[in-house]
Amino acid sequence: MLQKLEELKKEFRASVKDLKDQNSLAEFKADYLGKKGKLNDILGGMREASGEVRKSVGARANEFKQEILDTLAAQLTKIETAEVNAKLKKSWQDITLTDDVMARGLQSAGFHPVTIIQREIEDIFISMGFDILDGPHIEDDFHNFEALNIPDTHPARDMQDTFWFADMAHLLRTHTSTIQIRGMEANDPPFKFVGPGKVFRCEATDASHEMAFHQLEGMMVGKDISVANLIYFMKTLLSEIFRQDMNVRLRPGFFPFVEPGFELDIECLICGGKGCKVCKGSGWVELLPCGMTHPNVLRAGGIDPNEWNGFAFGLGLDRLVMMRYHIDDIRHLHGGDLRFVEQFKAY
Amino acid sequence: MNISINWIKDYVDLPEDISPRDLGVKFTLATCEVEGVETSGEHLKAVKVVQITRIEPHPDADKLNLVTFETGSGEKRVVCGAPNVAVGKKVPFACIGTTLPGGFTLTPKKIRGVESEGMLCAEDELGLSDDHEGLMILAEDAKIGASLADHLGAASDIIFEIDNKSITHRPDLWGHYGMAREFAAVFGNPLKNVFSEEWKAGLKALYTDEKPPVTIHVDKDSCCLGFKGISMDKVTVKPSPQWMQDRLNACGMRPINNIVDISNYVMLETGMPNHIYDRDTIKGGEIIVRRMGEEGVFVTLDEQERKMIASDTMVCDRERMSGIGGIMGGLDSSIKDSTCRIFLESANWKDAEIRRTSVRLGLRTDASQRYEKCLDTNLLEQTILRLMELIKESCPEAVVVGAMQEDAIKPTPELIIPCSAEKIARVLGTDVSEERIIVILEALDFVVEKKDGKLMVTVPSYRATKDIEFEDDIVEEIGRIIGYDNITPVSPVNLAETTRLSEAKQMQRKIQDFMVFNGRALEIMTYPMIGEKLLEQASWPVKNEKLTLANALSPELSRMRPSMVPTLLEKAAQNQKNYTSFRLFEMGRSYEELDGEAYSRDRYQLGVVFFDKKDSPYMDLLNVIRPLMSYLNLNAQFTPAQDKFPNPLMPSEWPGIHPQEYLDIKIMGKNSGVVNTVHPVLTRQFKIKGNVALAILDITDFMDLVIKDKTKYSALPKFPSSDFDCTVVADAHTPVGDILRAMGKLKMKEAESVKIVDVFRMSEDEKAVTIRTTFLDREKTLTPEFLREAEDKVVATLNKAGFPLKM
Repeated sequence: MLQKLEELKKEFRASVKDLKDQNSLAEFKADYLGKKGKLNDILGGMREASGEVRKSVGARANEFKQEILDTLAAQLTKIETAEVNAKLKKSWQDITLTDDVMARGLQSAGFHPVTIIQREIEDIFISMGFDILDGPHIEDDFHNFEALNIPDTHPARDMQDTFWFADMAHLLRTHTSTIQIRGMEANDPPFKFVGPGKVFRCEATDASHEMAFHQLEGMMVGKDISVANLIYFMKTLLSEIFRQDMNVRLRPGFFPFVEPGFELDIECLICGGKGCKVCKGSGWVELLPCGMTHPNVLRAGGIDPNEWNGFAFGLGLDRLVMMRYHIDDIRHLHGGDLRFVEQFKAY
Repeated sequence: MNISINWIKDYVDLPEDISPRDLGVKFTLATCEVEGVETSGEHLKAVKVVQITRIEPHPDADKLNLVTFETGSGEKRVVCGAPNVAVGKKVPFACIGTTLPGGFTLTPKKIRGVESEGMLCAEDELGLSDDHEGLMILAEDAKIGASLADHLGAASDIIFEIDNKSITHRPDLWGHYGMAREFAAVFGNPLKNVFSEEWKAGLKALYTDEKPPVTIHVDKDSCCLGFKGISMDKVTVKPSPQWMQDRLNACGMRPINNIVDISNYVMLETGMPNHIYDRDTIKGGEIIVRRMGEEGVFVTLDEQERKMIASDTMVCDRERMSGIGGIMGGLDSSIKDSTCRIFLESANWKDAEIRRTSVRLGLRTDASQRYEKCLDTNLLEQTILRLMELIKESCPEAVVVGAMQEDAIKPTPELIIPCSAEKIARVLGTDVSEERIIVILEALDFVVEKKDGKLMVTVPSYRATKDIEFEDDIVEEIGRIIGYDNITPVSPVNLAETTRLSEAKQMQRKIQDFMVFNGRALEIMTYPMIGEKLLEQASWPVKNEKLTLANALSPELSRMRPSMVPTLLEKAAQNQKNYTSFRLFEMGRSYEELDGEAYSRDRYQLGVVFFDKKDSPYMDLLNVIRPLMSYLNLNAQFTPAQDKFPNPLMPSEWPGIHPQEYLDIKIMGKNSGVVNTVHPVLTRQFKIKGNVALAILDITDFMDLVIKDKTKYSALPKFPSSDFDCTVVADAHTPVGDILRAMGKLKMKEAESVKIVDVFRMSEDEKAVTIRTTFLDREKTLTPEFLREAEDKVVATLNKAGFPLKM
């Protein structure tokens, strides 16, 4: 009986592969497992067999039965898939014909590079608890100069630096420092905020000079804010912007709205401080002006300098953008040429 | 400005074990920016004294010779074109590898086929003078093979190139003595007091009782803050000694003659400009300082005619003008070779006025550059005495005639600042003792007196003119001398507080995001200024005359734009050259004129252009702007133009408005946006060949509001809905919007939604519109009876509105 079973198995294994459609598969199944099927045929002799034999043959037969069921199920899936695939073949489409290979105008979309960098930096400041403020481009003398302790006779007020309107009392803001004043007017200390935005200078444009560019102003006012705090903040901030531990140094710098005022240098990223062309051999690159807010500025913002103090800094955004993307001509930023912005596409 | 370290060493000892570069770094961190450090005279060590032994003509060039010479260690030969070569002469020779001033390094080369082993030098090539007449001929007793440095006895010097911008607030740093004071404080070494009272007394002893040949009168209303002068006789004009020439050269000044050089030297030393007149040119024995009073022309020392205006302050004599106060002297009064009687001037002038005049004239001189910084009148006397001293040194036979003359002297007021050591330490955020503070301040020439627990700090007059004003300035003095590098960074006390983007900022970001990720557009930035020409080209009716710049860079950017539309059209025209279709947007601003105090308002706007050469992109644009409103949580109505409600973003008289493809966007009852296809009449004006759809959204009025998210959950329906489709006939030009509006009259709460399934153009005049009405009852299953009734109602409603069922 066992031998017959083995022979049947061989026969099954050999012929099952030829099944090509669902009907013949059903017939085939009945042929083996039906009441009068081949398996039952063999097992018909079981009644006469001894208990021992029945036990071993029964186990084998059950194994074989399971094999038939599994094999046929797998074969059925195969046949069905082949049928669906045959249908799919009729609805074939060219998956290499993507939008980007089609000649039908501009398909890209994305943000302006200044937006990309500005958002990145805004998010860092938000994470450090700074608010993000804004202000008008058209400003008055008070917010742009007077409140920032820039006297009447200061060269910055000259026609060759500042765009003045015909009334000679209003102007285009020359720095985002105006946002310091607006921020102080709108908030009670302690506070910290940044103000990114466009600023304007009346100067001839070339590859590295623009009459409209972007700055980001920062200000923190509280009790007993120190130079040590300022250095800490700048180091933390710059390490986050450049995504590496940054070495910074302060040296004396003069700006009317801070006292003491500093130029902040970063250790040259190209040579790591050893000295190279970019840092003119010094190992340091001048990055941003900062300082302790001048008491006159606090006063102009309605804050008592005997009770509060703070620091402020300014960051040139366009320079960071140009550094990041190796842009060689600042005039592209306001040029509105899609061939330029397309290079920074999101997709 | 250049600083000679040799010169600094006249006044203070510097550490020997520090490299020039590190010296520069230290100075940069404490005082001002050293942009460059150069060691001068290094090349003179490499240049050797040689003697010419043979001269042959060059085989291939008429004007060149082959010159052979003895170097002390064998003969060498060069190709040389100098006219004064002669056998036996001793000349300087630079061998291959020497770097000469100007950064030029000699390399092996052939001149017209003959190898040249270096170069015989003229004086200008060695940076010794401007002379290029011929080779520099050395004394006959010069030792062959010696270095030129040894032969000339020229000392090597370290030159610091100081960034002038970094000393704009420090009038005291515009001379070597002031710089030396900084070095003294930085390194803790004493500064030599070269202008002591004894020194002054010694020179004043030279005054005589004679009647002064020149007296001084200063008009009260001029910009002069004090004028001193003295006469000297029996001076001889001749070249300055080498050491003085070297120092002037090191500072980038050309030596001229002893008198002019002394004038320059004293300025570079004390930081105080001065002037020496040929006294014979002063008519009437009086110097008069006064305003011009009227327009006129004056010829300055550099032989240029200068247009002067009435308010300029001039230095004159009884007959004519001799100089522009604080800026430049005249051609007539300058020192000549024959001059033997002179008048020394030292004066002070108002900073702002000097700057204004010099900027207007485009004439920035060493003098005006210094006066702009607000100099100290108290230094005038010392300056004249120093001039006298050096003239006596150069011309021992010279004599002073009379005593010092002066007028209008306004001494710098005394400034005492009360400080607290505790506050200084607190602001710096580092420990610094009162003793240390006093030591630093005294090194910087401040006088410190302890009184009632405070430090009473007297500011030296030369720093009290503008630079130092109050306690925080003193904090800076301490901070920079102890070194900001020595302050350990400390985190400020962190308060538990939350922040988030402002509503306005969030809205702007959402708009940008939506335009990029849903609108598939590229963001651009444009100048917010505009020119009259572009406004005209765009036929834009608002001109913003009031917001015109007084000093625009060009007529194209002469005023603030009243609208983003003309700029966007310009950008569309510019980009159509490169693309057959594109989508761009700017999150920018336009500017609104306001009456009175307010003057103007920045308007925050989104401007969008969709362009396509072939097809109208209007629907594409509309299908981006409509969902944008929903994304911004704005309840917006899109309505056709209404005369009653003009849209400030697109004035109705603007010819760019399309007769059909135009919608106002009403937000909170106000027209705050517009979606328009630009009329072909206008695109033609921009030579745009294609279709431009343009949208503006002005968020100024609501961007700061907290707009509530009104989204509310409702339970999912438990019962199935049922759709009913019917097709009606309508006039070909009836908008489907009209049909949907008609369906509004259905008024059945079970009618969940009405949508258009299909629009089919039947003929020239008619179209068939298939409408799907979805019925749903949230309480129960809809019965067939109800549905039949509902369907009848739909058909009746449409019929009544003039849309019969299609048969």
